[in-house]
Amino acid sequence: MEKYDVAIIGGGSAGLAALKRLSTLGKQAVLFEAGEKIGSKNISGGILYSKKPKNGKTHNVEDIYENFLTDRPYERKITKYVLHATSKDKIFSIDLTAAHEYEANFGCSVLMSKLNQWFLQQAQETAEKQGGGVVSGVHVKDIRWEEGQTIVQTNELEEVAAKAIIAADGVNSEIAYMTGARQKFSPNQLYQGVKVVVKLPEEIMNERFSIGEDEGAAHLFAGDVTMDHIGGGFLYTNRDTLSVGAVYHLDSLLETPVEPYELVNTLLRNPMISDLIRDEVPVRGEIDKNLAKEEQMRIRFAVTKIIKTWTEMREAYYSKGERERLVREGKYSAPEEMEAQLSSIRDQMSTKYGMKFETDYVEAEYSAKLVPDGKRCRMEKPYFKNILFAGDAAGRGIFVGPRIEGLNVGIDDAVRAADAVARALDKNNFDENYLGQYYSQSVEESPYTHDLKSIDKDYLKIFLDAAKDVPKDIINSKYGMVVKMMSSKTLRNFAVGFANILGYEKILPIIETVETYVRVPTELAERLGKSVSSSYTPTIPSIAQRVAKLKFNDDSVSHIKVLKPTSEFMKKMTVLCPTRCYLMEKNGVMIQHEGCVECGTCAEETEWSHPRGEKGINYQFG
Amino acid sequence: MDPVNVAVIVKMEPDFSEGNVSYNPDGTLNRAETKNILGPHSAIAVNAAFYAKIKHGAKISICTMGPPVAESMLQHSQLMSDADELYLYSDRIFAGADTLATAEVLKSGILKMQGKMDIVFSGHRASDGETGQTGPQTAWKLGMTFLGNVIDYEIDPESRTIRVKRLVRLQGIYDVVEEVEAPLPVFIAIDPSYKPKFNTVSQRLAYEKYQKEARQRSQDFKQYLKVLNAAQIEADPKLIGISGSPTIVYKVERIPKGKATRQAEIIDGSDQEQIRRIVAKMRQSLSTMVIK
Ligand SMILES: Cc1cc2nc3c(=O)[nH]c(=O)nc-3n(C[C@H](O)[C@H](O)[C@H](O)COP(=O)(O)OP(=O)(O)OC[C@H]3O[C@@H](n4cnc5c(N)ncnc54)[C@H](O)[C@@H]3O)c2cc1C
Ligand code: SF4
Repeated sequence: MEKYDVAIIGGGSAGLAALKRLSTLGKQAVLFEAGEKIGSKNISGGILYSKKPKNGKTHNVEDIYENFLTDRPYERKITKYVLHATSKDKIFSIDLTAAHEYEANFGCSVLMSKLNQWFLQQAQETAEKQGGGVVSGVHVKDIRWEEGQTIVQTNELEEVAAKAIIAADGVNSEIAYMTGARQKFSPNQLYQGVKVVVKLPEEIMNERFSIGEDEGAAHLFAGDVTMDHIGGGFLYTNRDTLSVGAVYHLDSLLETPVEPYELVNTLLRNPMISDLIRDEVPVRGEIDKNLAKEEQMRIRFAVTKIIKTWTEMREAYYSKGERERLVREGKYSAPEEMEAQLSSIRDQMSTKYGMKFETDYVEAEYSAKLVPDGKRCRMEKPYFKNILFAGDAAGRGIFVGPRIEGLNVGIDDAVRAADAVARALDKNNFDENYLGQYYSQSVEESPYTHDLKSIDKDYLKIFLDAAKDVPKDIINSKYGMVVKMMSSKTLRNFAVGFANILGYEKILPIIETVETYVRVPTELAERLGKSVSSSYTPTIPSIAQRVAKLKFNDDSVSHIKVLKPTSEFMKKMTVLCPTRCYLMEKNGVMIQHEGCVECGTCAEETEWSHPRGEKGINYQFG
Repeated sequence: MDPVNVAVIVKMEPDFSEGNVSYNPDGTLNRAETKNILGPHSAIAVNAAFYAKIKHGAKISICTMGPPVAESMLQHSQLMSDADELYLYSDRIFAGADTLATAEVLKSGILKMQGKMDIVFSGHRASDGETGQTGPQTAWKLGMTFLGNVIDYEIDPESRTIRVKRLVRLQGIYDVVEEVEAPLPVFIAIDPSYKPKFNTVSQRLAYEKYQKEARQRSQDFKQYLKVLNAAQIEADPKLIGISGSPTIVYKVERIPKGKATRQAEIIDGSDQEQIRRIVAKMRQSLSTMVIK
């Protein structure tokens, strides 16, 4: 049997950071990733933060990857952060840029498929030098301990032995379930995130959002767009795409089930968002039915081709970097030449093929995944024997206000795990009390764990300050006292102190309610909001169309087995599965696993595993 | 332990995939207009050689006989296999060669390669009107043991032996797998159904490493390429080109595995008795077979 010092399971942002750190420390590590290639299974919102906490130190992305700020594998630095309360066409906006900047070096929008590929590039060479590296398309299915060895079994390759393991296999960590290191997370510990990536040429975006080349905007939404659920919506600017998504507490969704895509659609239909995502979209003309079949085919083909040419060229034209590159490489003599060609193609499209141009939006990818609510589910002992859990696998997602922090937390965990493992390798001691406890201690000292345990009063104060103009009577009696406090500066300070004394457990049921996420913002918008309108109604694809657009490597065998076809939970899955994989049949609920995006929503009452290596969903954006 | 040394003979072929073929007005292939690529069977042979590199760090030399444009196909082969050396045998006097004359060129070229070859790989056949003879003829000229229809192989570098699985036809039954052991060197014509299996972590890591190296190497493939003419490979002028070609191809047939002598019998699956009978028959025919 082959032997390696460390096995890392899962090649998301956490696993890759562990690989990078270990290799930099001169240790041999092999990373197993189930996806066909790195990045094909990972999705996020997402804003990746680099933090500078008042107390303690976090391991930030740019500390681990020294080229991060020069190579810029991220999309945009977020420089504008606004919360919008919505009610129908009315919007009341609160600028929360101060909250976004709080304790942050920066926060940048990211797309995981590209970002994780870049992380891989940065880690691979050093890993190979140590005799390790990355194997993708390999699904770990079991870990066992035999004669002092830890043996990793996969569906694809021969078994290997490792001295220590870092499990960074995400929120639906099979390693955690199979070893019994923790229970499956329950719905009250989880959020469900659903997202669409929308295309929008770079400079059109800059103008529309009033942002510069390396600036970005984040818009958050609460109010009637939540359809009465606890959570909210977001819209982040990437370089030439937008991420529009909804993140809701699973408990709240189970209580009053609504199709996840409807939650996204409601956002897309909100006039403010419709207007932000709009673009010019070519619409195919009718093809003369009297023409010969072959001729009709030829035209259809030509139209597809010309749309593609026009779209690609337009994307390049509206990107300063691309434009300059194409001129530099001699493809065009000057940007004007591009412009002329673009308009001539456009003319051809309308005159030759009878195409029209309409205002609509362009959806590129639909995705979904669970997010752990670390306040409620973080593993207090993130280890089991010689396995250390990091990132989502350890249940470490931070939700503070509208901010979600999972990526940065996972990277910090991974570095701590890597350091603990390196120390154990040096002493050749992998006992729980030398490796596991040391890691646990280190994680406990992380500023992030502090954030998961208590409310940061300075951060809370920023919110209270931002909301000080909110009329007191909007908020019902439950908040009466809080509101009174908010209107006075001294009392605002007191409110914060009070919140901390109560602590998270007591205060959560008060803040995380339909009241906070729905009623208050809705009323705010109704009373104080400005009317907004959109010049068009977006054509929203059906869920079937969205699934059809995704890339899958089909597996004939289902990776999910329904255990209780008639349970209440499973019946709700016919609504809550983001890609509608569950059908109600005579004898209960049945699964069609082919469209599964592995979000994990149904894991609670099913026999759930990730598909075998290379199989299943293959995200292009993430 | 000496490193394993392998060579691959490959062939440039027109790209028959959709949209890439160009025809003359009379319906014959327009060779000048049609894009040329590494033949699909040759590609499988290249894959097979790459397996030796991954498992044993073998040195790979790839050669072809063809016009100067064939160098881009060699570049592609290098990208697929991280080949260490590329050889293009190009000379006007090679023109009009049949399989035998081609084999003569390839033999001369292989003998001129650095070091002695342990394995020479070829494709099963070519897709553009070839007869599947070049491989065996080259083997014969080199005096190497020929193993055809190979679907799997393992080298033992210490004892300098090879074990291969071949797909053969036995007593009227197709696709019987025969296992053969032979001392190196051997000449292998790889079966179209060959698929390399990388089933250990170290092989997968080596795969990644060599692929990366291959991407780098193939960017300056010319550094690895030698273009040689007839004189440089010391080919006997009488045995190459038109003068060395005793045959002309007038018709191509599939490479035979021998005539089918099977007789089909239709069985009713719901009838226990019929099933029992057929199982007995299967046992009987299998028992006469020697399968290792
Ligand atoms: C809609 C949404 C919005 C979000 N917004 C933000 C945000 O704005 N900011 C932020 O910081 N975070 C955000 N998050 C959270 C963040 O995306 C996650 O915390 C982060 O991606 C988790 O990274 P990870 O490496 O721990 O896990 P993952 O990215 O899930 O990686 C786990 C990997 O392990 C692999 N794997 C699993 N099991 C096996 C196995 N048995 N064998 C081999 N491989 C396996 C998987 O294929 C996967 O690639 C958001 C999440 C969602 C869904
Ligand atoms: S089947 Fe389950 S894991 Fe798959 S997409 Fe639906 S809810 Fe998510």
